[in-house]
Amino acid sequence: MVEVRNLTKRYGANLAVDHVSFSIEEGSIVGFLGPNGAGKSTTMNIITGYLSATEGSVTVSGKNTLDDPNEVKRMIGYLPEQPPLYLDMTVKEYLNFVYELKKAEQPRKEHIEEICRLVKIDNVYNRLVGNLSKGYKQRVGIAQALIGNPPVLILDEPTVGLDPKQIIEIRTLIKNLGRNHTVILSSHILPEVQAVCERIIVINNGKLVADGATDTLAHDLSQDHRLIMCAEGPEREILHAIEAMEHVMDVYSLGEKEQGAYEFSVESAPDIDIRRDLFALMARNGWPILALRNTDLTLEDLFLQLTSTDASSDTGDGKGED
Amino acid sequence: MTAIFKREIRSYFNSPIGYVCVAILMALYGLFYFMVMARGSSVYISSYVYGSMFNFSMLVIPVITMKSMTDDQKNKTDQILLTAPVGVTSIVLGKFLACFFVFFIASTLGLLPAMAMNFFATPSWGEIIGNYLGTLLYGGAMISIGVFISSLTISQIIAAIGTFAVSVFLMYVDSLAASINNAAVAAVVSWVSFSNRYSTFTQGLFSIASTVFFLSVMAIFVFLTARRLESRRWS
Repeated sequence: MVEVRNLTKRYGANLAVDHVSFSIEEGSIVGFLGPNGAGKSTTMNIITGYLSATEGSVTVSGKNTLDDPNEVKRMIGYLPEQPPLYLDMTVKEYLNFVYELKKAEQPRKEHIEEICRLVKIDNVYNRLVGNLSKGYKQRVGIAQALIGNPPVLILDEPTVGLDPKQIIEIRTLIKNLGRNHTVILSSHILPEVQAVCERIIVINNGKLVADGATDTLAHDLSQDHRLIMCAEGPEREILHAIEAMEHVMDVYSLGEKEQGAYEFSVESAPDIDIRRDLFALMARNGWPILALRNTDLTLEDLFLQLTSTDASSDTGDGKGED
Repeated sequence: MTAIFKREIRSYFNSPIGYVCVAILMALYGLFYFMVMARGSSVYISSYVYGSMFNFSMLVIPVITMKSMTDDQKNKTDQILLTAPVGVTSIVLGKFLACFFVFFIASTLGLLPAMAMNFFATPSWGEIIGNYLGTLLYGGAMISIGVFISSLTISQIIAAIGTFAVSVFLMYVDSLAASINNAAVAAVVSWVSFSNRYSTFTQGLFSIASTVFFLSVMAIFVFLTARRLESRRWS
């Protein structure tokens, strides 16, 4: 649906986006992650046609942004980082203006009312946009992106400024929209990306550093495979027994956590799952396992690992977040 | 384009700017018609009313155009315009026409004193209509320049002052031409003079050359503004 090839954006000597390529299938929700100034907003601005790329191409549904700009723009609903609102209009006037601007073809009144219900702004329909709170402005911004029912939605930090209840509502809304829209959203809030997106693209210093399914990305990129086990029994004997196991690289105790129960860290060789053998061993010796979990990276760890590795060597941040 | 035009018009008359500009021009038209009447002859309409209004319109136009392109950049609303399926020329035309419409209302309402006079005497309509058309033409040209200047900056004040400076230059450019010794340079300088072009209309004459001149100025500056808007995508 959205195909980005070798996208590069240069601001003078500053490389904001550096040969980024990815493609997004129809009907998926993709999360864009990256620290401030990584080039997320710039990439989104280029896809929507607000900025032009120095190099590379963007095609939406087979149409190139340079050859058919208006066709592409018609297929994209965009919520920029700062919602593009005219503060001197009422919500009603504003949405009607957007409807005309986008040359939408849906029956006007029903379409606008439906969107207002969807993002829950029907109670402020006749108020001036300038007098609305940040959360409501953000929702008017989302409403604006939905007008004309474009198949692709690009949302730059859609839940910024919303209260926790609204955040949950908007996440649910985005998930629902994801059923029949292609959604690209950027966010700093990792649990949000984890909750909403099926796929994550991580950008750092203008470069694409990771791209994969939300559930497996963390596991795939984890470098060590350690298990944390809490078991009841004699500390020293358990340590010796585990050390003697096949494929165990390293084991040490983390100390007594409960009365008579110790926590152990067990590192295995990569790509080998020792959980079953471990269970058998402990069961044979009559040491009950109270808890067993693996220490795959959380999304936070992953994010930090991916985005901090070359941050020290490269101080030139990409522009683009303004 | 119509969507943008309608939005701009609404924004002029949602804020005091539209009313103030129209009111100032109308009040001045009224004042100068009154002074002409005090002199007791409608012969002075052309020189007195429209001659003065030429200068005052030049002063009011920067106020009309100053926010046309600056506000969008400042409030980031240009993102919705540039990501909507409309071309840059349509965006600029919508804005230009909205500014022109405000000026058009003011100039047209400026005919009211002449209409009132019509009940008691016969003012020389040929001259008045000629002046009116001339006003619309040089006004349109000046507005297109103002819109272009406002696209160069995000500050309304700078846009207004810049446009004001250009209009003052255009007002006095023929006196400048008179003081230039080199005939060729003088000819070029007086060729760009708005008031020379305008003066044919003040005699109640419809000059095709001047009309084409003003329309070309409008086309050129609308084009330049569109290019300027486009160039921001590449910067």
